[in-house]
Amino acid sequence: MTQFDKISITRRGALKGGVAAVAASGGLLAATRAAFADDTLAEIKKRGELVTATEMQFPPFDISDNGVYKGVDRDLVDAVAKEMAVKVSYIDLPWTSVLPGLDAKKFDLCIAPVTITKERMKRYAFSVPIADATAALMKRVDDKSIMKPEDIAGKTVGGQKGTSQVEQLKAFAAKLPKPVEVKEYVDNNQSYADLAAGRIDASVNSLPNLAYAAAQRSDAFAVVLPPFGAPTYFSWVARLDDKSLIDAVNAAILKVEADGTMAKIQKQWFGQTMDLPKTVPEPSI
Amino acid sequence: MKPEVILHSFGYLTQAAGVTIAVSFAGIVIGFAIGALVCMARLSRRPWVKRLGGAYVSVFRGVPLLVQLLFIYYFLAEFGLDVPAIVAAVGGLALSSAAYQAEILRGALNAVPRGQEEAAVALGFTGLQIWRRVLLPQALRISVPPLINEFILLLKASSLVSVVGIAELTRVSMNIASMTYRPLEAYVGGGLFYLAINLTLAGFGALAERRLAAGETR
Repeated sequence: MTQFDKISITRRGALKGGVAAVAASGGLLAATRAAFADDTLAEIKKRGELVTATEMQFPPFDISDNGVYKGVDRDLVDAVAKEMAVKVSYIDLPWTSVLPGLDAKKFDLCIAPVTITKERMKRYAFSVPIADATAALMKRVDDKSIMKPEDIAGKTVGGQKGTSQVEQLKAFAAKLPKPVEVKEYVDNNQSYADLAAGRIDASVNSLPNLAYAAAQRSDAFAVVLPPFGAPTYFSWVARLDDKSLIDAVNAAILKVEADGTMAKIQKQWFGQTMDLPKTVPEPSI
Repeated sequence: MKPEVILHSFGYLTQAAGVTIAVSFAGIVIGFAIGALVCMARLSRRPWVKRLGGAYVSVFRGVPLLVQLLFIYYFLAEFGLDVPAIVAAVGGLALSSAAYQAEILRGALNAVPRGQEEAAVALGFTGLQIWRRVLLPQALRISVPPLINEFILLLKASSLVSVVGIAELTRVSMNIASMTYRPLEAYVGGGLFYLAINLTLAGFGALAERRLAAGETR
């Protein structure tokens, strides 16, 4: 900053000076950007801390239990960071702020489960899958009219706006004999609330999320099986140019899978274990 | 309705209410200081200072607080200026509230009858004395109800600072709703905390009004 002042004072009034100052500030700005773009992994190792962010409203992956961060992502990222020999910190952001925050370099890694899609692969670097993300439906426990996914024909289904599960629902609904009304919510919890209140007939989300919700409120909800969506997976994401970071994270995830920690985490939160691909799969959606 | 959900989360909500109060209080105080300066600028006899004050009010009152917060936290980072979340939150609230507070103060000063100033001049008061003894006490009294109004609005608007990652009352209510799958209880709990805070604030306002009205009672 002082550098700018000097330039502008010594050549005050001169047009040439002004141009030079603008050029210099541009150069300095570019320099800072370059410093930022330096290897994120080296930066993490140097500060000894992996800064992560997620929305802590996505059980069983991300839960804020009386202010204590819990869930699949928490347990997994702790294990991953241990492998990488760094500490972890967690930021709680609304989902709409998570990917912009990653772009703005407010943190290193998004540990919110992100469904792998073709569109998103172009913008972000995906880790190897951390969980199944196949889209499924949940209904009111006493609703006998929905026994299989196709029974939603002619009914109203809710889901979280901007999620791949809602997109899959629309594609699935288009093939049904009667049109399905799709209501989009800011987050899944409002969709669940409307389901409980009877305003919609089913909620769409990934199978692990729904299974957990139905287990927590078995008095109100039941999962409609089988899942209707094509097999998809959740991953964590980093900025597209942070190749070395995502490689290190992948190596750590695979290690955690190999030594049985992953199975333990899955057993605790999903009640069962599931096999995951060892590489980033080609997205089916 | 299961009231025990609220009871179970009482500590969490209390902590979040503390964050809401702290962020709002800092926003109000800093906003008042900036607002007083902007008000002075708007009342200045120098045209460019006056215009600068006007421009401030137009921008910070014209752009939604949510957009200002996103701008401070995410967009400035694009230029290499990394604003910490708490600074972005308090700064956003203060800058935006300052625009409203400046207009409240200006309105209050304009509402003091001109004759008061003329009388003070005629009685030989100096410029500073006129402000301190005549204009400000009366303007303050007039501005208390709208200022309390603004403080309460700001406290509720502070729910927006969750977009920069501050776990305040609304955000925590949402966390509880998602964890328990019981949104009604979570939001009733959060709402009760807001109500308690704002009733206290309104109580302080009523107290301030009574104190300042002391000069009027005979």
